[in-house]
Amino acid sequence: MVLFVVFVYYLVPMISMTRFAFQRIPVIKLSLGNLFDKWTIAPLIETFKEPEFRSSGLLSVQLAIATAALTLVLLVPTMAVAHLRSKRMRRIIELSSTLPFVVPAIALVVGFAGAFRETLPILIRSPFGLVPLYVITALPFTHRAIENGLAALDLRTLVDASQSLGATWYRTVVFVIVPNIRASIATAAFLALTVVLGEFTIASLLLKNTLPLYLSYAQGRNPQGAFAVGLVLILISTIFVASSNRLGKVVRT
Amino acid sequence: MTGKVEFSKVSKSFGAVKALVEFDLSIEEGELVTLLGPSGCGKSTALRVAAGFETPDSGDVSIGGASILAQSANKRGIGMVFQNYSLFPHLTVTQNLEFGMRVRNIAREKRSARVGELLELVRLSGLSDRYPHQISGGQQQRVALARALAVEPRVLLLDEPLSALDATVRIEVREEIRRIQRASGIATIFVTHDQEEALAISDRICVMSNGKIEQVGAPDVVYRSPSTEFVARFVGKVNDIEVEVLSSTKARLRGHKHEIEIVSAGMGGGAGGAAGGGAAGGGAGGGSAVVGGVARLLIRPEDVQIVRPDSARANVRCTVKTIHFGGATTTADVEIDGTTHLVRIADSTRNMQFRVGDAVHIAFDTERALLTRGGAA
Repeated sequence: MVLFVVFVYYLVPMISMTRFAFQRIPVIKLSLGNLFDKWTIAPLIETFKEPEFRSSGLLSVQLAIATAALTLVLLVPTMAVAHLRSKRMRRIIELSSTLPFVVPAIALVVGFAGAFRETLPILIRSPFGLVPLYVITALPFTHRAIENGLAALDLRTLVDASQSLGATWYRTVVFVIVPNIRASIATAAFLALTVVLGEFTIASLLLKNTLPLYLSYAQGRNPQGAFAVGLVLILISTIFVASSNRLGKVVRT
Repeated sequence: MTGKVEFSKVSKSFGAVKALVEFDLSIEEGELVTLLGPSGCGKSTALRVAAGFETPDSGDVSIGGASILAQSANKRGIGMVFQNYSLFPHLTVTQNLEFGMRVRNIAREKRSARVGELLELVRLSGLSDRYPHQISGGQQQRVALARALAVEPRVLLLDEPLSALDATVRIEVREEIRRIQRASGIATIFVTHDQEEALAISDRICVMSNGKIEQVGAPDVVYRSPSTEFVARFVGKVNDIEVEVLSSTKARLRGHKHEIEIVSAGMGGGAGGAAGGGAAGGGAGGGSAVVGGVARLLIRPEDVQIVRPDSARANVRCTVKTIHFGGATTTADVEIDGTTHLVRIADSTRNMQFRVGDAVHIAFDTERALLTRGGAA
């Protein structure tokens, strides 16, 4: 029953969105009778041709990749060390990772801007100043993904074995830890990408023209195109999540 | 280059817990020494200190006369096999074996040849392309051993490598380890809490308790002549019988008329000592059993014999309470008549020709027993 409700709750708007975006029929005339009529991808193509879309899309992709990379570079070694050396450190990281659920984006931006406007203004000026904020915003998801991967390993034994065979800490991380949590790393990366591609508030408050902001503005002048791009983004996110699940299965086999 | 391993007064604490207290031990080249003791006695800590995974609070560890404490774990040239399966799950058997050689930048041809030799050594030549989850636990531990040997270590450390295996595989892998260790001639430290395993595999056994060494010696010496009460109780089964020391040659089961002779030599500083000077040296806490005082006789089940009723030694009459058939050897618990004291005896199955409830006579062969001061615990 719950599944059915969830199905209806998510699927009905999706179908409505799809029909609105890809059928050349006025909304008021949409019905079951014309379900298969006048489908087109023209709104999507028209949107792709817009220079504003391209620049905001490119920026969002760059931000997403940078966020995923920074997240993994910071999170994997830190969490591995915490797993090996300190339960207390693990608890602190876990608690910190839930803060984005508690601290509103507006508070985060106000604090960020206040702290760095004078000391490191480039972080406010450059769109890539969003990356640290996005790393924090994605932390509840990325942390959980990495944590699950590390918890499933006998990390202490693997690290000791690697070191007894002569490997340095760097080699141990790159050739032993990372390959064994690659499904978790992929999941964390995909989740970070998804968060960045959908984040609106922070970019809006810091006046950066990311894809979600473009979509918001475009809804006024080209609503069909905006919805079409929105659907593509949902599709991409779904593929990311499905890929990480698939990768997890392959690794376990 | 392999070499003699020496622990010199190594101490290590974790908070208030003293894991190692002035631990002194040397392992000769080619020797296999087992650290034996209950959980938490410090045996794994000693191993981890040698491996470089723990830093001692004081003392030194050396290989071939040179201290290794300043070297990090990855520079010590020590091979280690762990209790938990430690093969890298994402690598095949061959890739696992090559890991340490790759770290050392050994050429591919040389690596391949060495992998072939090692697989032959552990008799797993057909499994080179399998992943760890595709082979059994016993095979995984053999690969782990081969992987540790691949880097031609100076010392081999085995941290309870058999404890995750089932009984049959355990014996098989144990024999394999011993064969390979003898063939390689590497100084090896083997950690276990299983006394049977220690007795079977070691050149020498180091029995540990509370971070300290209780006794070091060849397996038969440790078993037959335990120097402390702890060793007597921990290594093998032991009967704990409360006695009154009557003279230098006789003791009597406490509260009973049965007398037993304690005239003997080589009792690990135990009853033999009692016979000598009216006091039994050694025993718990190095105490002494004074003539006229109460002591405890710690004696192995196989040193208690069933004898014919007309035998001159048949001075203790008992009733058989339980019999445990164990294949070649059978053990039985007998209750000394007039007491509630149970004594365990062990003998070849052929000699155990009686049933539960039968009356039997037993005699104590106290030559290898230990007499310690004080009443029963």
